[in-house]
Amino acid sequence: MDILAAQIVTGLSIASILLLVALGLAIIYGTTGVINMAHGEFVMLGAYSAWFLQTFVGLSLIESLVPIFAMVAALGWIAERLVIRHLYRRPLDTILATWGIGVMAQQAIRLSAGGELRYVQMPPAMANSISILGIEVSAFRAFVLVLAIALFALTWYLMYRTSVGMKLRAITQNREIASCFGINSNRIYSLTFAYGAGLAGLAGALVSPLKSVSPEMGTTYVVDAFMVVVLGGVESLIGTIASSAILGQLNGFLAFYSNDTIAKACVLVAIVIVIRFRPQGLFAAKVRA
Amino acid sequence: MSRRTTIQIAGYGLVCLTILLVPTFYDDAFVLNKYSRYLVLGILAMALSLSWGYTGILNLGQATSFGLGSYCMAMGLKLRTVPVHTGSAGLPDFMVWNNVQTLPWFWEPFYYMTFAILAGILVPVVFAILLGWFIFRGRVTGVYVAIITLAVLVVVNLLIIDQQRYTGGFNGITDLAQLEVFGLTFDAYGSSSYYLIATCLTFSLFFALAITKSKAGLILQAIRDQENRVRYFGYDVAGFKMFAFAASAGIAGLAGMLYTIVMEFASPTFLSVPLSLSVVIWCAVGGRQSLLGATIGAIVVTGVQGALSESETFLDTWTLIMGFLFIAVVLFLPKGLAGAADALIDRLLSRTGSGRAELEIMKPNTAFPHEKEAAE
Repeated sequence: MDILAAQIVTGLSIASILLLVALGLAIIYGTTGVINMAHGEFVMLGAYSAWFLQTFVGLSLIESLVPIFAMVAALGWIAERLVIRHLYRRPLDTILATWGIGVMAQQAIRLSAGGELRYVQMPPAMANSISILGIEVSAFRAFVLVLAIALFALTWYLMYRTSVGMKLRAITQNREIASCFGINSNRIYSLTFAYGAGLAGLAGALVSPLKSVSPEMGTTYVVDAFMVVVLGGVESLIGTIASSAILGQLNGFLAFYSNDTIAKACVLVAIVIVIRFRPQGLFAAKVRA
Repeated sequence: MSRRTTIQIAGYGLVCLTILLVPTFYDDAFVLNKYSRYLVLGILAMALSLSWGYTGILNLGQATSFGLGSYCMAMGLKLRTVPVHTGSAGLPDFMVWNNVQTLPWFWEPFYYMTFAILAGILVPVVFAILLGWFIFRGRVTGVYVAIITLAVLVVVNLLIIDQQRYTGGFNGITDLAQLEVFGLTFDAYGSSSYYLIATCLTFSLFFALAITKSKAGLILQAIRDQENRVRYFGYDVAGFKMFAFAASAGIAGLAGMLYTIVMEFASPTFLSVPLSLSVVIWCAVGGRQSLLGATIGAIVVTGVQGALSESETFLDTWTLIMGFLFIAVVLFLPKGLAGAADALIDRLLSRTGSGRAELEIMKPNTAFPHEKEAAE
């Protein structure tokens, strides 16, 4: 029983990180149809910002979360304005352009911060483990889980309870008609992209104490995050959280029975099969287009 | 044969001839090895153009076929070496290190070089047919094809790294013999390998061109532009897609085998996501809807990459420059270099009054009917 509970906790921890990374991607992809290969690099930039703020400014991780969000969101906003804006009619080409952005971001970091691994300190208050219902849980991992859920709730609120969110959903359904009603779709797209990038930055900052920080760290995240988004169903926030949970748990359990590599391979095979039979995702929202 | 096709064939022939003549001017072994590497990647990009540019299947896992081909060749060549520890009939060195006692059954046939070479093409083809059957019979299209192929690539890559006992794991298969066929030895640093690769490039280029010019090739392009309409005409869309997918995989497998000969090893990085995405980039830069364009795109991009990474001034910044160039090409030259060349030829032709109508085939790519699908 203890092993089972420990497994579920491990799975939840994986799931929370997946959710953090995938949330931004889901919003960007679901709304604009842009396949953002640079998403992993936004995660990486978030992690490096955390390292920078900690090493040179002396902010602790918790204090630096807000500036990191702002910084990475600003970068996302710039990328949208300069490049992605011109490609909304060619969604396929966004793969290429954003890949180019990612390559540039990686190299820029390599030149400025160096290519070696960096380490970010955990907030001292959360370095210990806490006991929940008799299971020892790392306090920081619990914090990440709580924050991931909070960010999810915030995103849900923005999407479904604010006027910006309503405009965004209108554009998702039909950009032309929405524009006819006076919605400035360009502005909404920029904001969405910046918000998604900012979320990726936060994800990077939060995983930075758990994993080493390197310029290439983004590549693995972007593939995983895409799997979450596709499995959950595009345009479905609930799908994103559910599929992060499923993938996290599945990964945790399979890794317990075999090893990490095989677990990852099995999860991917499962995803491929799901896409084949349900391309719209497991939790697709009914969208009228 | 229309005038445009004649010009096209002449252009293809000219480029292939130029490539074949290079060793008469540069006799430096190191330079030739470098060039042959670029040519192999050119073949790989050309293979992608066949499935992406002509059929609209964005295969983000092109490196799967490439890597499978490369491992088949490496397995064949590995068994030609005499193991240091276990004698002439012994096991490959990495198996000894991993305490493997007997040669696994699927390694046995690779003692025959003919089998290894055939396998290098047929394994990717069969793999592609099975995967294609799985994908296209289910009428999966657009971005989901891209995601599935990408996921499959990662799975194959993970499995190869994980099964270290049989595949050499992270290090790959190193320390290979040189390929010997018909009494010819193909040294990676000699003009023989270069000629082999240039010949393969010529043959595969014209093979692919023949496919695109055939009736089946026209149907492939029709599928790219309006899949449903082709289906309503009664064509077996999935079958044609599987054909294009498999042909592309076979050519990529050939490229993989050649890559092993040039690099003298096979490694999991040949099946990595970055390489696979780079192929897409080369294809896009050169022009996805032109076989020759994609080939030249790969040669130019990898060539520039190689030159920049060697020069003192650009040692640190070349990746930045490459990234910038990719973005610029995507923004300003959506059809790549070939698109620009095409427009030029078109202008010359229209001045003489013919060939205009045919160009209408070159409609913008609609491989991603993101919104359209929902509407249907």
